[in-house]
Amino acid sequence: MKKKIVALALAAAMAASMTACGGSSDGGSSAAPSGDGVSITIFNSKVEVQDAFEEMAEEYSEKTGVGVEVYYSSDTVAAHMATKYSSGDPYTLSMVDPKDIYSLAVEHGIDMSGEKWTENTDYEIEVDGKVLGFPMCVEARGLMYNGSAIEAITGKEFNPDDYSTLDAFKGLLDELKAGGMEAPCGIMKEDWSLGAHFFQEIYEEQPDVEAFITSLYEGKADLANNEKFNSIIDTFDVLKENNYAKSSPIAAEREVSEQKLAEGEIAFMFGGNWDWSMIKDFNYTDGLGMMPLPQNTTDGTDKKLVGGGSKYFFIDNSENTSDEQRQAAKDFLNWLIYDAEGNAFLTEKCAFVPAYDNIDASALDPLSISVKNYADQGAMVPNYNYDPDDHFSIVGASMQKYLADQIDRAGFAGEVEKYWASATPVEH
Amino acid sequence: MNTNSNSYKFKQYTMFAGVATVLFGLVVIVPFIYGLYLTFTSWDGVSKTKPFVGFSNYATAFSDVDYWHALGRTFIYAAIAVILVNIVAFVLAFLVTRGLKGQNFFRAGFFVPNLIGGIVLGYVWKFVFNRAFVALGTAIGSGTLSVSWLSTPTGAMICMIIVSVWQYAGYMMLIYVAGFMSVSEDVIEAAFIDGCTNLQSVIHVSIPLMASSFVQCLFLSITRCFMVYDVNLSLTNGEPFNSSVMAAMHVYNQAFTYKNFGPGQAEAFILFIVCAVIGIAQVYVGKKAEVGA
Repeated sequence: MKKKIVALALAAAMAASMTACGGSSDGGSSAAPSGDGVSITIFNSKVEVQDAFEEMAEEYSEKTGVGVEVYYSSDTVAAHMATKYSSGDPYTLSMVDPKDIYSLAVEHGIDMSGEKWTENTDYEIEVDGKVLGFPMCVEARGLMYNGSAIEAITGKEFNPDDYSTLDAFKGLLDELKAGGMEAPCGIMKEDWSLGAHFFQEIYEEQPDVEAFITSLYEGKADLANNEKFNSIIDTFDVLKENNYAKSSPIAAEREVSEQKLAEGEIAFMFGGNWDWSMIKDFNYTDGLGMMPLPQNTTDGTDKKLVGGGSKYFFIDNSENTSDEQRQAAKDFLNWLIYDAEGNAFLTEKCAFVPAYDNIDASALDPLSISVKNYADQGAMVPNYNYDPDDHFSIVGASMQKYLADQIDRAGFAGEVEKYWASATPVEH
Repeated sequence: MNTNSNSYKFKQYTMFAGVATVLFGLVVIVPFIYGLYLTFTSWDGVSKTKPFVGFSNYATAFSDVDYWHALGRTFIYAAIAVILVNIVAFVLAFLVTRGLKGQNFFRAGFFVPNLIGGIVLGYVWKFVFNRAFVALGTAIGSGTLSVSWLSTPTGAMICMIIVSVWQYAGYMMLIYVAGFMSVSEDVIEAAFIDGCTNLQSVIHVSIPLMASSFVQCLFLSITRCFMVYDVNLSLTNGEPFNSSVMAAMHVYNQAFTYKNFGPGQAEAFILFIVCAVIGIAQVYVGKKAEVGA
């Protein structure tokens, strides 16, 4: 008898552990189409808003009679879209990254240039005169700060504009250290953060981005003597020097760093307004915000965030989607932009910085408000979206080596130059 | 009834193995051949056309230095992990077949890690290596422990091996347990009567008689180690500096992250050949040993 109980308990424990791994990667929610209405499918590629989307889909279906099903996949966007297209089962509306619009929507998307919303945004993606991408939100990168932690030490109001030069920023760091904050900075070691977000600014802040990228492809760019490269890596060196995880920067976990920033244990970390989705889960203080990366430069980039439209919808043009479905998809996009409920869904439920000038965005989170402020002032360096697909991984790895002091600056520049010279140019 | 006619044999085969054959063909053979076909095209995964490009994907794969580094790394990892997995599994199996009190409980306990999926396992151990060990190291003032092992290339490799051993040893242990049980009591008793010590009876009697267990365990552990992906993904994700990217992960990245489907598929096919050759060679050698015993 006793043996049986033990066996049962073990079986139960195993079953429990099995279900723990059974967390499926593809989640879908369906709202049954009511009446004779058409039904559309939406692919959402931002995991943090999946619940909001599912809730919205249900309400939208009830109100309009158009069935809406929302799907999410933990695969990369490109891999998931490839599966759906090769199985002849595309989504009516797909939310993808800008580069996917160029690689997918040119062949698979419809032209939306006649739509009204194109007049209310500067961020739509146009290829050969056709509007293919509907911008979902604006996202920007910069240095996140915890204002109240800084004010608690300095005793005066923190105004990020006062610290746009690297010299002033260093002065502030020294003040913070003297005031008891041992290491005021954090660095995300993830390759996408280092390679695709931080290093990317070196390209984006060049006077002529396309010419610079071309020279990289041709192997003619001299990165080690490039003004922007040195300016941004100088700033990186300062962050590195003041990194709380300086002794083993590669082991720093993103969750831990974000928590330290949210709770004011550190004051600065490079990131973007999407980091709010993590920060909001911690016991965050007031005074969070984003500022441009401090640099000793005169080209004005020390006063601008880097960013632009980030997630884009395109509508499928294949015979698998009916004209009624395409119309329903267009109506849905219009509902997002021109209906009060649609607006509330975007800005409040999803916390997206709207890419449209007619939408009120006063209910955003602190990081997004910073982004909106810079965007409204036009203080935004545009994204460069045409890196080769392996760029983030390879340049990210080189930057990780630099972060861990495995290579010096010249070696770092050399590795990046070598990568570009061997890469295949991306058409755009 | 003529039980020797072809039609009879065909009917018998269809009745007993027909469904399995059709399913095997549909889910293994057809995709395999289709995959092989894709290695000769420059398909990007989404486009409607699949241009034929001959062997150029293989040329790209052969000149992909990162792939060969990943493959070399996989060889080292697999070699060490396979040896350790089998030693640990064998020792565990030996211990839990000695009639200890509660040995069934131990068997179940050692087997449990294998039931936790590789992804979850990776995250659990990541926490252990990054936080628990570091906290412990800081507390006792040990230099090697106070820095996370996952932050250096060699350390990341050691972590991968530790986790793999922990994951697979229990599973292989079950096969060895079955091997120990299959050795008849009479033979062991006869060995003792002939004056064998405990150790001698294991080395000279049990091990030769359970050679088939070794063949199976080696085959399973070698193929699993070569195809490792889930633990690799959740434990190190290739970091630091892409120095812990194993062959399967490189193939996945090449195909899906970097969107080079053709070369990625070609690299997957090369990996398949490598695994198949090693697996078959090992089974062939192992079977010979079995016959000899």
